[in-house]
Parts: sequence; C-alpha cells; structure tokens
Amino acid sequence: MEKLLKDKKAIAIFVLPAFLLFTFILFIPICQSIYYSFCDYDALTLPKFVGLKNYKNLLIDDVMKTSLKNSVFFLIYSCVTQLIMGLILAGLLTNIKAGRNFFKNVIYLPCVLSSAALGLLWMFIFSPKLGINQILAKYGMEGPLWLMDIKGFITLPMWVIAFVALWQYVGQSMMLYMAQISGISTSLYEASYIDGCSKLQSFRNITLPLIKPMVGTAMSLNAIGSLKFFDLIFNMTEGGPNHKTEVLATHLYTQGFKFFKYGYASAIGTVLLVLCLLMTFLINRAFRTDDM
Amino acid sequence: MAQLSAKCIFQKGVIMMKKKVISLLLTVAVTASLLAGCGGSGAAAGGAASGAADSGAAADAGSGSGGEVEEITWMFWDDLNATEDLITKGYKDVIDRFNKDYEGKYHVTPITTNLEEYYTKLNALVASGETPDVFIVSPGPNLTTYVDPGVAADLTPYLDDEWKNSFSSEAVFAQQTYDGKIYAVPLNIAAACVFYNKEMFEEAGASVPKTWDELIDACKKIKEKGHNPITISAGTAWCLSMLVGYLCDREGVDLAKINAGEEKWNNPKTIDAVNKMVELSEYFQPTAAGDTNDVATAGLYSGDAAILIQGSWAIGQINGENPDFEEKCGVFQFPEIPGGNDPNRVIAKSDSLAMSAKTKHPEAAIALMKYFTDDTAQKYTAEVGGKIPVTKVEYDADKAPAQLADVMDIFTNASSTFGFYNESLISTEAGSTFDDNMVAVYLGEKTPEQAFDDMDAFYAANK
Repeated sequence: MEKLLKDKKAIAIFVLPAFLLFTFILFIPICQSIYYSFCDYDALTLPKFVGLKNYKNLLIDDVMKTSLKNSVFFLIYSCVTQLIMGLILAGLLTNIKAGRNFFKNVIYLPCVLSSAALGLLWMFIFSPKLGINQILAKYGMEGPLWLMDIKGFITLPMWVIAFVALWQYVGQSMMLYMAQISGISTSLYEASYIDGCSKLQSFRNITLPLIKPMVGTAMSLNAIGSLKFFDLIFNMTEGGPNHKTEVLATHLYTQGFKFFKYGYASAIGTVLLVLCLLMTFLINRAFRTDDM
Repeated sequence: MAQLSAKCIFQKGVIMMKKKVISLLLTVAVTASLLAGCGGSGAAAGGAASGAADSGAAADAGSGSGGEVEEITWMFWDDLNATEDLITKGYKDVIDRFNKDYEGKYHVTPITTNLEEYYTKLNALVASGETPDVFIVSPGPNLTTYVDPGVAADLTPYLDDEWKNSFSSEAVFAQQTYDGKIYAVPLNIAAACVFYNKEMFEEAGASVPKTWDELIDACKKIKEKGHNPITISAGTAWCLSMLVGYLCDREGVDLAKINAGEEKWNNPKTIDAVNKMVELSEYFQPTAAGDTNDVATAGLYSGDAAILIQGSWAIGQINGENPDFEEKCGVFQFPEIPGGNDPNRVIAKSDSLAMSAKTKHPEAAIALMKYFTDDTAQKYTAEVGGKIPVTKVEYDADKAPAQLADVMDIFTNASSTFGFYNESLISTEAGSTFDDNMVAVYLGEKTPEQAFDDMDAFYAANK
C-alpha cells in the first residue's frame, strides 16, 4: 500500500476520474458563470461584456434585498434550530433502548423523500381550503393565511417554510451527531457517573466537547444547504406572494429561466458562491479543534 | 502529501488540512451543483431534443419511406399524449393527420415540454443552432424576442391569397405583424370575459352589470347573501393584472404612448383604474392573495364565488372539471366605465405558430401550418376546444360548449381587441414588473402612485 502510494502514476490514475469530473462538471461551469456575470447574455445572442453592470443592478434590486434577507434568515434559523433539535434528538435516541431504530428511521425518513412531493404535501396542509385551517374552523377558530401572509419583517410563510425545512432535514443532523456520540467510549461516561455526574452533566461535559468537530461539519452542511435552498420554496409559494418569500436561488431561477437574463442570474449565483465559501470558512474557524 | 509516511497521516496538522480541503471541496461541490444546473440545462435540453428528432427519424425509416422524406420538427408547450387539455388533443390530431396525408413526402416530429420550461428549452435550441422548424409562441414581447434577432421567418411571402382569405379578418394578424410583415400565424383566439354563476345572481337579485357601478352593486348584493362575490388569483399575478388591464383600458389609458415613452405610467387615468381595482378588492375571496389561477377558477365552478374574470380558455377547464356547471355559467362583457373609453374593446390572446428563419424545409413547414388552420382543425377548436376559431369555418354551435356562444357574441361585437397588459409592454420583464406592482397595491404595500412611479423608473432604466 505504502509502495503504491509512492508511485506517482498510480496516484495520477486514481485521481484522474474525480479530477476530470470536477473540472468539467464543476470548475469550468463555475468559471463560465463567473464570466457570464460580467456580461449581458440572453442565450440567444453571444454574451456581451458589460463590466460590473450586473453587480450594480444587484445593489438596487428590491427583490434581491428581500431574497438576501430571507436567505440570511434561513441560514441563521436552520443553523440554530438544526443544531439544537439535532442534538436533543441524538442525545435522546442514544439514551433510550427500546425503539431506537424505529424513531431513527421515522425522523430520518423525510430526508430521503422528494422535496417536490413534500413541498406539495405541506402546501396542501397549509392551504386555506384544505388542511389545518379546516380543522381549526371545526373548532370555531380562524387560522391565519399560512403561506400568504405578508406582514412583518420576516413574513409568516418564511417561518412556515423554515419549519418544514427543519422537519425535513433534522434527521440528517441527528444522524451525524448520533454517529459521533456512539463513537465516544462508554468508559468516559462510567467514570463520570462514579464521580457523581448526572446524565445532564455528563452530556454537557463529555458529549458536547467531544462532538464539537461534528458540529462544525454538520453546521457547514446546514449553512450551504440553507443558502442554496430552493425546492420547498418553489413548490410551496414560488417566491410569492409578490416575492415576499423569494430566496437567492429562486430569484436566480426567475431571472435566468423566466427573463433569460443569464448574465444577471450568474451574478446572483456568484454572490451565492461567495456567501457559501464565506460561511464555510467562518464556521470552520469557529469550530476549529486544536486538540483531538 | 504522498511523500508523508503513513504514521504522519495521523498527525493533527494533516487532519486539519484534510478537513479543510474536504470542507472546501464540499462547499464548492454543493454550490457549484447549483450553478452547474443553470449552465448544463441548455446542453441537456438540446440533447433531449435531438434525441426526440432521432427517434422520429427512426420511426420514419421504419415506415418504409425512402430518403426523400423532408423531416421537420414542431415545438409545443404540452405533452401530446399525456394531456387532458382539449386544445392539445386537437393539435395531436393535426400532427397525426399531417404525417398520414404526407407520408413519404414530409414528416413532422413534435418536441414537447411543459409550459413552464417551454421558452427555456426553445432558447437553448435556438442558441445551439437547432431551432425547431415550426414553434408555438405567444404574440407580444415573446414573439418580438424571436423576430428581432431574425430567428422567426417573415411569413408574408408564403401567405398566398387563398390561405390569407380563409382567415376571419386581417385583424387576427394584428399582434403578429411587425413593419407590415407577418411573422406568425394565429391558431385560435381566447377572449377575456366575465364568467358568472347565474343561480347566485338570481338568488341575490342581481342583474348582469353593464357599468362599473352596477358591478359594484351586484357584488354588494351577493356579499349580503353570504357568498364570495368575486374569485380571483393574486398568487398567479397576471390574473389580477388582467383585471387592472381591463380597468386601464376602460379608463382610456393609451398604452402605446406609455410604451413609446411619450406618457408617464403615473397619470390620473392609471391611478383611477387601480383605485377601482382596490375598491373591487373588497369583494374578492379572502384567500385571493395566495390562491393560484387554478384554485381561483375552481372557486367559480365549485360554487364558492359568483364571478370570475378570466380568458375563455377557462371554459374547457370549467366544463371539464364540473360538467353540471355548464348550464349555470353565464358570460358577460367587462363593464363600461361611464365617461371612459369605448366599452366594446376586448382583451384577446392567440396561440401562434412561427417558422424558423433557417429552416431547410419551408414548404413542409408551411404545409404543416396550413393543417393547423384548415377547416377540420378550426372546427375542432370551436366545437371541442371551446376557443374562437381564426378562420371563416362554419361550426356546429350546438356541439360547442354553451359559454362559447356568449363569448363569440362578445368577440364579434368587439370594436377592437387588445392584448394582456403584461404581454403588451416593452419586455417580458416589464410585464412581470407590472404584475408585481399591481399585486403590491392589492396587498396594500404600495399606493397606486408609488406603484406607477416604480413602473416609470423601470421604463427609464430599461429603454
């Protein structure tokens, strides 16, 4: 094995498929779209270089402001709630004996289902003519317009969608934390119990510090996932009413595929790329573990 | 990295490095998948289309005809086989008839998408130099997108007298004509009218309104009976903006002058029109803000609301979903605003066919277009599809949906037609901006003045 790893040809052969895949499917399109972000490009005529025009337009675009606001809200909401809910669920499930696998599967299930189908399902649940409001109406209560309300800095539909996203993806965080927790040696816990720790104390003093690196990884995944979040929003509200629930990815889609402003859409994509890189960098900084 | 011994791999620093590299790669991969999605779709769409063309060619070869067959493509925004839409089913018949009658001479292969992806895919095909020989397009800025860069062919030379005279009037070409040249052929016309529930009107003692005040009065009476007077969709923004379009036209707004930059959007007539929309919004169903077009239309045929302002294409949907409603459903023309513009103007919209300017088989393409406007196809359009035919064809009114007769009455008595406002502005995006601003006014986020100032700002920035 050691010999093989020293052979440069062998390394090259092993790396080549992934390298080619990454280059042609990822890096070249990324570079292309960064180039397009400096152009007027409608896919019908050749791209025309316009310098920073698209980026200047981004600054005065009201929908861009809304989508940026919503994306940041989403980022913070999902990082915080996924961390808390994921940890609580992981902590609970590693401590129960009966039905652990059952609950694990139930909680993880939404992760493997299609977001489009789930989006539709939740749209029906929150629709004023079906779902929750009909049940409330039976008890004489009038439910709010879950996916249509427009009041407030962060509108109600955004909270609803963020809740659905939490429900869908919390299983992912939970699995990551559970994997890390089950890797912690039981002797540590036994020692802590002998020293008189309660379960809660051992969770705080043993579990938490030891899963810190996984928190970083899970949070990076969350951050990237929530920044490029698209499917639930597109299926539940399509960014409406009147762009109130637009996020960066849906705004990009509208500009690119509805108005054929590929240059402008690429500029939004570039902003998204920079944001993702920045968040990963920050999260990795925050959760850097020097002693492992 | 490779030179490090196996032991070293376990050292902290390397772990850190690896982690960093992995997380960076992960970030890039995840982000890029989004970007790549945009870049890749063109190629994918092109691939799919050429795939379709291949299979078409193969099928043709299988039927035993030699190499003389002229193969053309026709692009459309609905699946011909999976659809429930009656108009689409009619188009499928046309394609089948064409392929059968011209067997061994011409053969057409349909390229179909869903409506949402239609223009994305069409543009990808145009960009890759594989423009379909014949493609469907909405008149207005959509068609202009293909006329300006020379993608769509000038059809004037092909419109011989016989073909041209078969159309009901020259006016049907109005929206397809640029500098006196016709760039697309209309297939059918839908007119925007007001559909209403006769039973509810009777119950409330309301009469069919002719003027704006009568409409408000009818709404008031229906509301007093505990029904929703109007069902409309602001979730699908063009539905609301269609109402504003009608109000603007009744008020006498000169859209041509606004588009030419000679008049401002923010003027007393547009403000009056939008204020009337706000006045009427008191009678909308409570969920109008988020209801989609389909949900709003369902509001009429399921008996939730009394009035629906919609294009006549909704007839197929209404009668298809609830056949019992056909006899209860009445149609009237959008009411007059006294002292305003001519009340006999009607919003109309047509599906049109354009031909690629680079097609190698113009004769085959024109032959196909003629099949779409021949008597069989046009008769079907009226009797089964419930849309207004574009030719002088005689159809059996008893077979056609009950509402079509009323729509035909309104359409034939129309002094002139105009397009949807959002499809009659300087660009598709301008139309969308108009829609958004009207919804914003309805939601109370903007005053009419602010909304039209924003329209003026958009026009100034996108001349």
